[in-house]
Amino acid sequence: MLVVKNLTKTFTSAAGEVNALTNVNMTVNTGEFASIIGKSGSGKSTLLSMLGALDTPTSGSIEVDGVDIAKLSASKQTAYRAKKIGFVFQYYNLIPNLTALENVMLALEFGGMPSKKRKARAEQLLTDVGIEPDQQLRKPSRLSGGQQQRVSIARALANRPAIVLADEPTGNLDSETGKKIFDLLHKLSRSENTTILAVTHDMDIAGRTDRTFKLKDGQITV
Amino acid sequence: MNVVSRGVKNAVRSPLRSGAIVVMLAISIGLILSMLVARSSVEAKITEVKANAGTKITISPAGVNGFAGGGDYLTSTELATITGTTNITKTISTLSDRMATTDTNLESSLTMGSFGARQERFNSSSTATTSETAPTDSMFANDTETARPVPTPQVTVTGTTDVNSVSTDGTSLTISSGTTIDGTSSDLVALVGTDLATKNSLTVGSTFTAYGSTVTVAGIYKTGNTFQDSGLIMPLSTVQTLTSQTGSISSITATVNSSDNVSSTVTSLKTALSTKADIVSQAEQAATSVSSLTSISSLAMAGVIGATIAGAVIVLLAMIIVVRERRREIGVIKAIGGSNRKVMIQFMSEALTLTVIGAIIGLALGVAVSGPMTSSLVSSQTSSTSTIKTGSFGAGGPSGMMQRGMSQLSTNFTSITSSVTPTVFVAAIGITLIIAIVGSAVPAWFIARIRPAEVLRTE
Repeated sequence: MLVVKNLTKTFTSAAGEVNALTNVNMTVNTGEFASIIGKSGSGKSTLLSMLGALDTPTSGSIEVDGVDIAKLSASKQTAYRAKKIGFVFQYYNLIPNLTALENVMLALEFGGMPSKKRKARAEQLLTDVGIEPDQQLRKPSRLSGGQQQRVSIARALANRPAIVLADEPTGNLDSETGKKIFDLLHKLSRSENTTILAVTHDMDIAGRTDRTFKLKDGQITV
Repeated sequence: MNVVSRGVKNAVRSPLRSGAIVVMLAISIGLILSMLVARSSVEAKITEVKANAGTKITISPAGVNGFAGGGDYLTSTELATITGTTNITKTISTLSDRMATTDTNLESSLTMGSFGARQERFNSSSTATTSETAPTDSMFANDTETARPVPTPQVTVTGTTDVNSVSTDGTSLTISSGTTIDGTSSDLVALVGTDLATKNSLTVGSTFTAYGSTVTVAGIYKTGNTFQDSGLIMPLSTVQTLTSQTGSISSITATVNSSDNVSSTVTSLKTALSTKADIVSQAEQAATSVSSLTSISSLAMAGVIGATIAGAVIVLLAMIIVVRERRREIGVIKAIGGSNRKVMIQFMSEALTLTVIGAIIGLALGVAVSGPMTSSLVSSQTSSTSTIKTGSFGAGGPSGMMQRGMSQLSTNFTSITSSVTPTVFVAAIGITLIIAIVGSAVPAWFIARIRPAEVLRTE
């Protein structure tokens, strides 16, 4: 379970202090597929980076299965990202000179899986998301956008994370492919009982998630 | 696939750029190796010069140079002073004399020539009055303007405590037949120069007359020096006795225990002997030679440092470019759980891979060019030092010791050979590692500063 309490993030810029997030409170149950919608600059990405331990909040707490990740040391945060969090990015962010298989194996390496078991696990994950064995040995540049996003989902799920954070997962895909990716995420949240939190501006997609949080000027409005 | 192999793989990710970096590195590493080789070769030579030429001091009677000049010979008193001086380990004493036709039955193998005739004029001026009354060969009497005796070159006699001091090439005297003589004895024996022996048909065991005594030929020597090869070598005390100059010495070569003590020993000798002797140390001449060698050495060291900095900067800039280019990738690796340490190791192995490839090519290159580079470095410097070879040692006489010293100095430059020793090789590899470490330390710092949150920024 994910519990966010009074989360505030303040950036100091040349123009003075800017509140990116103000007193955000939200709870997402395990296995739930939630979405966060909001306009550009509403604080979506900031919230996502806090939840993913990519950045530390100014105040407030983020509890994942009872552990406050905001108070973890830098090395513990890295370990948290490796084991408890899976990221799916808008631009896939696969490592360009590694094959699809190696990209997934990289996440398994960081998750601490013994090197001998990595390959079989990565192949299974890629097959589950619909990447054929011959495609698994291709580098990202030789895969389509939809295929790359599937690889990135496989990578996100590699270490059986508590939460998958998706930043505009369909934002760079055509609507048909986007729908397939959404369906894949939805299916996985059910089959793997993984909490999925997706940032999107696509109301159509948001409407089909279990729950939707609306973010406006750094505050949850619903 | 682990973090190191990813780094190695990344090194060849962009073959063209990696190739260019490797070539630049290879050149600088090759330069480092060849400069190190040049430096160690020159340093070895400096040590050799200091050890050999630098420890000898030549003491001659004040005002005397060979057979020219004037003054009193050194005596056993001065010899005792010299022998008693601190740091002097060995002395070689020499007494030279020239035998006229009245002193010996030997005929000089040297022809008078214009130089000899001129010398003869000075020598015979004092005997001019007697020669005017003496009956002379009619043929010459008619031809010469003044009534001087038939000019004949004289036979040079070197009495020495060490016959090897006559050798002109710095090594032991070459005895072509017979055996050498003991310079410390007082036997009536002699080593005869090969030219003189041929002229007078002398062989080992032959005898000849010198100063009224019969001297036996113990051996024939050959130096390749026409002046030396037309002379005689006898034990010092034999010459002193025969010429009635007991205790007289025309030249002393003293050996100092360490090249570092030469100048202080020269100073104390000058104080002790004051006006009685002229003191010349080979170290003073060697210093000129060594100073130019030292400048080559420091030039080579500057080259090593310069090339090292260049190599480090090449790796540094290359890695900074690579890190900047892969900023997003580094962010992704961190976001999916890669630690700073792992990312740094990955980039360091990438830098090390480039450096190692560059080093292999560079070291091969260095081995190939170090020989020609050392000789070109040395030859460009020798032109400025050529003056030392034509020093003021033109005067005749048994200046074998001086000649030996000079010939040694002149060979300093020609005998420098470059060789890639294991030490130099290890030093080059060590420097290469420094390049890789310095070259990847700063990029590592950049890596640590990349925040994983940056990956959430849209492109």
